[in-house]
Amino acid sequence: MVAPSATLSTLNRADGSASYQCPSTGSNILGSVNAPVELPGRRDALRPEDATIEVFVKPGTAPAGVGERYVEGILKTLLGRVILGREKGYPRRGVVITLAIIGGENVSRGDPYLILLPALLHTALLALLSASVPLSMTFSATVLAVDAAGQILREPSAEDAATAQSLHVLAFSSKGHLLLNESQGAFDLDTWEKVRQRASAICHGTQLVSADGDVAMAEDVDGRPLEGSLREMVEDQVYRDYNWQINAA
Amino acid sequence: MSSPLVLLPGDEIPSEYLPSTSSAPLRLGAGLRLLSQPHPTTKSSSTPSHVLTATQAGILSTDNKRNAVSILSSPHRRYIPTANDLVIAQIHHSSPDYFHCMITPQAPHAVLGQLSFEGATKKTRPMLKQGDLVYARVLSTGLGAGAEVELACVNPATGRAEPGGLGPLNGGMVFDVSTGMAARLMKASSSSTGEHQQEGVAGLVVLDELGKKLEKAGGFEIAIGRNGKVWVDCSNSGDAAVKATVAIGRCLTTLDQHELTAADQKKLVSRVLRELKIEV
Amino acid sequence: MAAPPPALTLPPSQFARLQPHAYLLAHLSPPASSNQPSIRANGRASSQFRPTSANTGSLTHTNGSAVVRVGDTTAVCGVRAELLPTSDIASWSVSRSGAANNAQQRQTSSNSNSNDEIDPEESQIQDFNLLVPNLSLSTGCAPGFVPGAPPSALAQSLSHQILALLHSTRLVRADDLRVWYQVPRLGETDTKGQGQGEGGMDVDDDTTTHGQGKREIKAFWALYIDIMIVSLAGNPFDAAWAAVLAALRDTKLPRAWWDVDNEMVVCSDAVAEARRLALRGLPVASSFCVFEADAAAGWRAVIVPDAEEEREIEESARKGMLRRWVLADPDGYEEGLSQERVCVVVDKVDGKTVIVKLEKNGGWAVDGRELKQLVEIAADRWEAVKEILEQC
Repeated sequence: MVAPSATLSTLNRADGSASYQCPSTGSNILGSVNAPVELPGRRDALRPEDATIEVFVKPGTAPAGVGERYVEGILKTLLGRVILGREKGYPRRGVVITLAIIGGENVSRGDPYLILLPALLHTALLALLSASVPLSMTFSATVLAVDAAGQILREPSAEDAATAQSLHVLAFSSKGHLLLNESQGAFDLDTWEKVRQRASAICHGTQLVSADGDVAMAEDVDGRPLEGSLREMVEDQVYRDYNWQINAA
Repeated sequence: MSSPLVLLPGDEIPSEYLPSTSSAPLRLGAGLRLLSQPHPTTKSSSTPSHVLTATQAGILSTDNKRNAVSILSSPHRRYIPTANDLVIAQIHHSSPDYFHCMITPQAPHAVLGQLSFEGATKKTRPMLKQGDLVYARVLSTGLGAGAEVELACVNPATGRAEPGGLGPLNGGMVFDVSTGMAARLMKASSSSTGEHQQEGVAGLVVLDELGKKLEKAGGFEIAIGRNGKVWVDCSNSGDAAVKATVAIGRCLTTLDQHELTAADQKKLVSRVLRELKIEV
Repeated sequence: MAAPPPALTLPPSQFARLQPHAYLLAHLSPPASSNQPSIRANGRASSQFRPTSANTGSLTHTNGSAVVRVGDTTAVCGVRAELLPTSDIASWSVSRSGAANNAQQRQTSSNSNSNDEIDPEESQIQDFNLLVPNLSLSTGCAPGFVPGAPPSALAQSLSHQILALLHSTRLVRADDLRVWYQVPRLGETDTKGQGQGEGGMDVDDDTTTHGQGKREIKAFWALYIDIMIVSLAGNPFDAAWAAVLAALRDTKLPRAWWDVDNEMVVCSDAVAEARRLALRGLPVASSFCVFEADAAAGWRAVIVPDAEEEREIEESARKGMLRRWVLADPDGYEEGLSQERVCVVVDKVDGKTVIVKLEKNGGWAVDGRELKQLVEIAADRWEAVKEILEQC
């Protein structure tokens, strides 16, 4: 399995940005975050103590439609639980996240965005980190397809997803909570349990507690856990930015 | 200190990384928060009930002298006003009591009292027009949402412009750099005046180098704002003033985009000066 | 000797407005001394749904319609069928070339075989956008929704959810939407020539063509499914989906055929000839929200316990105080007080529960164990909704 790759702070004018390459769908997602920004109008009537999160998803070739609205809603709800919108300077202001899908296969009308959802989530997370928006934790997400024979397929392509019996997107927080689950297609709970275990292994690795209480990250069929890959992307950027200080120390 | 600690939001900060002096209270800087354990769990008897966690991604920076700890996050982040920061602000418009200034284009205007300049009275206050620049200190950022940021060019306690140089900036030119670069430049310029170091502070020798090389041409004045603005004035250098200003700006923006070692910085300075045909 | 200050008393309705969170919490966790059961502010038990009623066929100008009422949330759904001639589909000639044989073969097998035969051309519904649901909230259904305003983000995302669910459950059969034309046999020699031209045909395929002549699709029925939320008091998706389901069950398509002389598709106006759609299954949606006891959780800086600790806390809390409640079919009041949402769509095939869609977002309270309980509740709800839909 090819690990996803990303670069942070690619855009000059945005407060934070990330460009994310998703190997399974071949699409490149460019995310930018501007925060905190003043929002026009009086949108603060609903929750004056919190930041307003706005997410815009722009598909590569077509104008955004109802499908995008739906994914925006998913992203907004999830990120709302992770962003600390009550930190200083954020209440009543906006966190504006724009995600543009560049290249890759197009998502047609009525098609679920599920196979792109993990990439969108990761891009949003990296862009938020690059903008230094306070977060309570990080997360990682993956998409799994279950085919007619009951085989679990990791990060399916669009054709695989179309023929799959069911499709599942799961996101786990860095503390192991199930943050998001989007499943569709016919399945039963036993299948879902298996999918959840596999997804957890992909995101966090299989945790082995050794005799001295250390938690070791085991690498299995899924290669490096996604969480580790994401952490590495951020660390790379931090090392690049603070080269001068690290060298001096 | 061992290798720097890179943190992601939600990571706990191991206590061995914290400054060890225990007499003064620990000061928490940006990107950190103190969390308490609400529910005593079965194993919590051994773990402390308070932990420090990161809320931003970056490296942990500790200051043993001030007993402070903070996270250095992305240097390209937006400037968020904090009290006592020195910033370069641009006047947007004025009202009877205040000048309304722009610190960053995205943020709402900050206010600067018409009389908060050194020695200003109702009759002697500076007459600033739209577009004029001031070097000011952030007095307060206000509490709660929608609060205005207040600037001052004078220490309200003493009535003097301290640190020196606060007030209107006349002439010169402003260059934009990243906020991380501005912080580095401030660190470098504030400490390199006294003790001379070979490698420069924060890995920067470019200002010292430029100072040496441009001395003959008349030297230059520089003001660095935490909001990612650098003001440069070479009005003493006569004919070469424009060239020298451009040279300094070019050096700084190049340095901002590319990571350069001390030797490379010296080379950069010589190259830029040569390209602009400034005699050194 | 000052008299004691008059006690500040508020009627419950005012208390509910001033302190909505405390009000609901007081209902859900009554003091142990009061000996009252834990109950929601609206008088329901936590896994109880609102009374649901359905009525079909009330709109006369549609092919099928339904009004579904779940508590105070009311959804009206109308299905309008329009003919889409294949000559109007730009990509038709491209996709047909390879598909014609396939379709014919499938046609024969589905006649003989059971209902659950997978139609290889099923994707025509999606490819040609034959199902077009549109949900409108701009009816003044709730104070926040201005009549006549452009569709809000919520309305758009609900429309998409309904469309995605229609596609993923394959509720409507593509074959119900096709208008076939039987090419008459013009003579023995002609068919021979045709048979030779398509040399790769199977033997039994050949025999069917002999018997029936060539069949081709001349048009499709496109179903425009319009949903109006007339009154919104929380949980619009369950009501909207139930309305779509009831309306599609009610939908009758007139008999349509290809008129060779006029070269157009004509419909019969005889009611007796109209036929109903044969839907696949009966997926029923159940939504839940999670109410957290600690209203200020977002304010206070506390360590978020990780998943393992969470489970331990949960175990120890089982006996004493509950920290959170999963509320079925939340009303508007409860939705405003919760962040985490769960939506389960289940169907039953031969008494076995099949999950068709499982969504959770906005928090970390619900994991495997909770979801299992919710699926069971959803399965019970399926029985109830089935009864309601079958009666109407």
